[in-house]
Formats: sequence, C-alpha cells, structure tokens
Amino acid sequence: MSGHERFRWGLALAALSSLAACGGSDDGGNGPTEPPPTDFSLQTVAGGNNVPDRFSSDLWVHGSYAYTGTWGHGTRNGNIGNLVYIWSLDAAGAPTRIGSISVADINTVSDVEVSSDGAVLLFSGEGGPNGGIYLYDLADPAHPAFLDSALADGGVHTATFGEIADRRYVFAARNQPEPALLIYDVTDPADITPAASVPVPPFYGIHDTYVRDGLAFVFAWNTGVIIYDVGNGMSGGSPSSPVEVGRLVTDDAGVKAGPSVHNGWWFHNPVTDEARYLFIGQEGPGILKEASSGDIHVVDVSDLRHPVEVASFHLDGAGTHNFWMDEAHQILYAAYYNGGVVALDVSGTLEGDLSDRLLANIRPGGDGNTYVWGVQLVGGSLYVIDMLSGLWQLGVTLP
Amino acid sequence: MIGRTVGRTRWAPASSLVVCGLVSLGRAGPVTAQQSELWAEWTAQGVVAATGADPVPGDRALSEVRVVQPVVMLHAGWGPHLAGLATLDLEGLTMPQGELALGDWGEGFMDRRHPHTYAHELLVSGTDLLGRRDGEGQVSVTAGKGFAPFGTDDPMIRPPLRYPVNHHFAQILERAVLIGAGRQGPVTLELGLFNGDEPERPDQWPLIEGRFGDSWSGRLTAAPVTGLELQGSYAHVHSPEHRPGAGPDQDKVSLSARWEGPVGGHPIYGLLEWARTSEAGGFFVFHSLLAEGAWTGGRHRLYYRFERTERPEEERISDFRSLRPHLENSILGITRWTVHTAGYAVQGLRLGPIRLEPLTELSLGGIGLLRGAFEVEPFYGDDRWWSWTVGLRIAGGAPMHRMGRYGAAAPAMGADHPDHGMES
Repeated sequence: MSGHERFRWGLALAALSSLAACGGSDDGGNGPTEPPPTDFSLQTVAGGNNVPDRFSSDLWVHGSYAYTGTWGHGTRNGNIGNLVYIWSLDAAGAPTRIGSISVADINTVSDVEVSSDGAVLLFSGEGGPNGGIYLYDLADPAHPAFLDSALADGGVHTATFGEIADRRYVFAARNQPEPALLIYDVTDPADITPAASVPVPPFYGIHDTYVRDGLAFVFAWNTGVIIYDVGNGMSGGSPSSPVEVGRLVTDDAGVKAGPSVHNGWWFHNPVTDEARYLFIGQEGPGILKEASSGDIHVVDVSDLRHPVEVASFHLDGAGTHNFWMDEAHQILYAAYYNGGVVALDVSGTLEGDLSDRLLANIRPGGDGNTYVWGVQLVGGSLYVIDMLSGLWQLGVTLP
Repeated sequence: MIGRTVGRTRWAPASSLVVCGLVSLGRAGPVTAQQSELWAEWTAQGVVAATGADPVPGDRALSEVRVVQPVVMLHAGWGPHLAGLATLDLEGLTMPQGELALGDWGEGFMDRRHPHTYAHELLVSGTDLLGRRDGEGQVSVTAGKGFAPFGTDDPMIRPPLRYPVNHHFAQILERAVLIGAGRQGPVTLELGLFNGDEPERPDQWPLIEGRFGDSWSGRLTAAPVTGLELQGSYAHVHSPEHRPGAGPDQDKVSLSARWEGPVGGHPIYGLLEWARTSEAGGFFVFHSLLAEGAWTGGRHRLYYRFERTERPEEERISDFRSLRPHLENSILGITRWTVHTAGYAVQGLRLGPIRLEPLTELSLGGIGLLRGAFEVEPFYGDDRWWSWTVGLRIAGGAPMHRMGRYGAAAPAMGADHPDHGMES
C-alpha cells in the first residue's frame, strides 16, 4: 500500500471518528468538522505555452482578467522582462493574452496584485534604475492607466496590499544593498505616500510579506520570519510605526544555503476557527528549468511572540515558491518550480513530516517545460504561472 | 614574491638610502643573506590594448581600447627574516567597467573581466623563521591582503593577456590572509586562513570582522625535477559571493602541472590545470580544464591556451553585469566555454629603462548549454565567437613575481619568473 493510499484510508477513518466525535460533543472538538478531501485531483483545462517570448514571473487574477509579469534580462529570445501581460478570461475561465504594460529600465516584474475591490493594479519591478512599485487604474481592466510609482534603490522584490483601519497600504520588499520593508499609504493611489521604512538584515534581505489582521509577516531569508504589528493592536504598532512581535529562523532542511525564508501564508482555518499555522516557503538553490530545492515549513503561531516550527513538507528534486490557500477546504497550493504544483491537505493538527498529506502534484508544462512561479485559486480554477510555459488554467476536482 | 631567493642569494641594495635610486634598475644587489640591510625592488607595468569581440551580448560586435593590468609592485625586506610586498592595481581607474573578455565572469561582471582592487597585495612575511634549525628547509608566516594558497598563478603573470574563464575557479585572491608555509627539499606545504568574501568594487577592503578565518585552504607543491612543478590544493570558501555571509559555501579543488625551463635551447613554459568548484553542498558543480604553453625564440614569443570551463549563468541586470548582492541562489543555467587563444609577442625592445612588448592575440570560442534554460544563441546571436587584441605592454623595474606564493612557498618555484618572458 502506498503512502498516499494509506493516507486515504487514514483520512476515511479519521473522518468517521470525527463524525462520531461531533455527535457526542458539545463543541464539536478541535478536529475538522468538514472531512478533508479524499478524492482530489488537478488537471489542465486551458492555457499553457502562451508566453514563448519571455520568461514569466508572477500572476494575479481578478474578475475576468489576469495580469502576469515577465522576468530576466534578455535571457529568452533576447527579450527583457519589463512587461506586464494582460489576459482576458472567457466564460469558462480560459485565458487569452490581449495586451501589455511596458516599464522602462527594469528587467523583471517581480510581483503582481490587484486590490480587493478590483480598482487598482499593483506591480513591483527590479533589475534596473526604475525598480520600485507601480500602481495602475483598472477602471478599464483591459487597458490599465498609470496612476503613480515609487522607485527604490535596488528595486522591489515583492509588493502586496494591506488594508488597515480603513486605509490601503502597500508593503514592499526593497532589495539589497539596504534591504527594508517599505510601507506606503496608497489610499489615494494617484499619490503614493511613504509611511515607514523598516531595515531588514542584509542576509539576502526581505523577499516577501504577508499582511493580515494588522500583522505583517516579513520573510527575510536567512534572518527568518519577522512578525510586525502594523495595526493589530497587540503591540501598539501601526503602518507608520511597525512594532516587532516575534521572529523565528526555520530549519534549513539540509539545504546548504541556509533557511532561505522566502514567502508565506497565515492560515485562518474556518473549520476549526483557528489561526494557528503559518506556512513558510524555503527557496533553496535552483537552476531554471531543471532543478530547485527548499521545503514547506509549518510554524505554529498560536503564540505570535514565540513561533515554533512543527512540521514540514519535502518534495524530492524540487523546491517550493509562492503559495495560495483554499482555506475553506483546508488545502494549501504551492508552486514548486520544476516540481510543478503541489496540493497539500492541511486539515487538523500538523506535525512532523507532511509527505502523507500530498493530495496532488502536477507539472502542467510537462518534463523540461515546467518551472512554476505562482498559483492562485479563483472561481474554482487554479491559475498557474509557469516561467517556461506561461499561464495555465487548472481544474480542481474536490471530493 | 616575499622572501624570494635566487639560488642561495638574496637580492638587496647596498644601503636603504638607495631605494629611490633603484627606480631605473628596479632592484639592487645581490648581497648575501647574512646582511641585514633594508632592501627593496620595484616593478611597474601596464598594457595598452585594443580589443574587439564578435558577437557580444545583444548580438553585436564591440571593440574598445583600455589600459589593462596597470600595476606597481614594491618588494622590500630587512635581512633574511622579514619581507614585505605591495602591489597597487590601478584597473579601477583605467577600466572601471571591466575589460571586454567573452566568457570571463565574477564580482558582478559577465563577459567582461572585472577590475581588481587597488590594494591587490599588501603582505608582510616572517621568512626562514627556524634559520638553520630546519637545515635547508624554510618556514614562514605571511599576513596581509593577497592570494590564498590555492590553485595556479594569477593570469596576470602568465603569457596570454586575456584572462581565462576559470579565474574564479583557479585562484582565490584579494583576501585578508594568514598563511603558514614550509618547504623541505622539493616539497612545499601551505595552509591559509582568510575571509571568504570576494571584493565588490576596487576600493573595497576585505571584511575582517565576522569573516576573517571563515575560510581556509591548503596547497601542496612538489618540484620533482628542475623546471617541473606539481600542485594540488583544496579550499573551503564561505559565502564568496555575498559579503555579509548569507551565500552558500564553495569547496574547490585544483590540480596542475607546470613546466618552466629550456627545451632545445629555447625557453618553454607550459601549464596543465584541472579545477573543480562545488557550491551549496554540490547543488552547483563547475569544472575547468586548461592547457597553455609558450615558446620563446630570440625576441619572438608564441603562446597558446586551450580552455574548457563551465560557468554559472547568473541573473543579469544588463548585458555585462549580473546582480550583486545576490537576492537568491538560483541561476539560469550552466554553460560550457571552449576557448582557443593564440598570441605572438616581440620581446627585448627598450626605450631607456622602459621595456616594450608589442603583442597580438586571437581567441576563438564556443558556448554550449550544459544545464538550465539560458538561451545562448538568442542572447549572443551565435554560439561561436571570436575576439582579437593588439596591445603594447610597457614595463619597468624588476620582473613580475609569481603572484599567489609567499614566504617559503616562493623559493620552491626556483628562479625568478620571466615576467611573460620579457627581458628584465
């Protein structure tokens, strides 16, 4: 019996036990009240091999449009990664490329995001003198209109929106030589206003930030993860005056480049009503197209001031990158570079080796044509941006 | 070289006061090793070189004129037990954007050889520390800024003007070093501690605090017969590509056989070198094989180099620069560079105390993708390239020393290096 089969039998037994427990308990217990999926699959539906001119980077999907970044200095067909591609999604969600935004003097569009109300497109750029953050108006989503930009020496590796106390902010990761968490007030997106700059140790600096409930999780490579109160209230912090709450250096998992803490997702489990786990992506050494390394680390942040690593997931021959979560179904989706896309069951208590939690692993571009940067679950489809094979729409079959 | 002897004779001036007067000669002496006067000698050189290459990144041809390898060296010492060496390298002024050299890489440069730091070497050696207690042997301790005891001679003092692709696999230079060396008969052993970080710009000094001693190397050299030298070395280098220390480590191995001596009445130089660098615990592995030789007949010198070296294709921020400091530990791929370089130089021309050496070089190269997604032909326009150089080497003073060997390790090489074969 394979590990996966054992996992499925285990899940079935656990589900039965859980149902029995629910029937005899006042509060339903601490386990999941919704059985985790037992017949899960991912399959390609549409898209793919649709960005042959450049390497792709990040993606964001909102409504009937998607936006994807490009990467690198002349390394694919001699082209520069200074474009944001605009995609239209048809009624079934299939993407068609319809346009682009060009930014001079950057080599990579390093992050892409649309505000929750769909009004503003945010992307970051690096690899040139115009590295920084850029905001575009999405009144016409097919034709974004420039609003404002803020340049940063060294460029910006990632940027994300955070909405705190009825104001909208951008949390940006400024690259070396002076890495820092930059916080901008973009409530008026046509007038980006600096709010704070928090230095980060230069051990490759800051790579990504996850903002939720007034907390900012800064993923700072070999410095580990640093948690700031930026409006939560637990430590009196604010966007203009972040206050450190806690930090943790995760295990290097045998990667000979250190913990390489790159990205994360703070899981709010609606089934258990807990916000116990922080998933962290470790970005180890990689060779574009064929090799990568680094595990998913699970940190128990029940006590945010004293986070503790409790579990990890390893995929042989590949390393993880950006995450997305289906919190309702307790599934973590992880981009896994040459390993494609991984779906993990993260229901219940997480501890130790999570290899038995693997639900699906798909390489949409196939052998030698898969190096997945990011994923996003929208409208029942999992959108995948692959540096080599472009934008994919995957179907998700839940039990 | 510090502590150099020529046979059993030590070069020294008759008086410390004549140091300035040595300018026209480069050195004074010889006097015997028993004397304890201050001695000194100097060397200066530079090459005015016109270089062209086709194609270069962006599928175009490029040519330029630069002053390359402009250095001033000063050797000094006091008696048999104390020696000093300073090498001022002015490439940061004459070629701040590097030297056009397809395949060369390192310190943020790609396809251009980077300028070295101004303080290329700055060392003090305690030499022959045991005196006669170790018989004919020599024991030394060297400290300062210079080469770690690893690999082969610096390309600057080898016949071809063009630096090989394997420079960063075959030498470890411009570090704060503490080196112990011992020589007994034909065998020399060197052990060194140093800081792992490479320089980031010409005016930068090694990072001592927190980095010195985080890396080490050892080199064993044997000279079984006169003129022949066999070398094997190993180095563990912590975070060479990231100065604060967050980068992966390298484990490096170098093996070489070197010949320098007359064959058939003509001076012959030859080097066969193999090097391997493993990074991040073996995630990245790079190999290099190099063979080069030079033949001198009268004023004419012919030389040739073959090289096959694997190179990381780093994320670039422009055609000739890669991202520094690193943001992460991923690369686009590994390419294999096969380069043939042939050259001709005329020696023995003088203009007063100045030695002149016209030279010309031609290189033919091929690029192959070994791993990853780096697209060679779209980036360069072709997977084959050629380059040419016409130059004039201008030198004065004593011959250049063999950079990278200090104290007891220096005499093991035998006589003075012939300074590219230029007459001194």
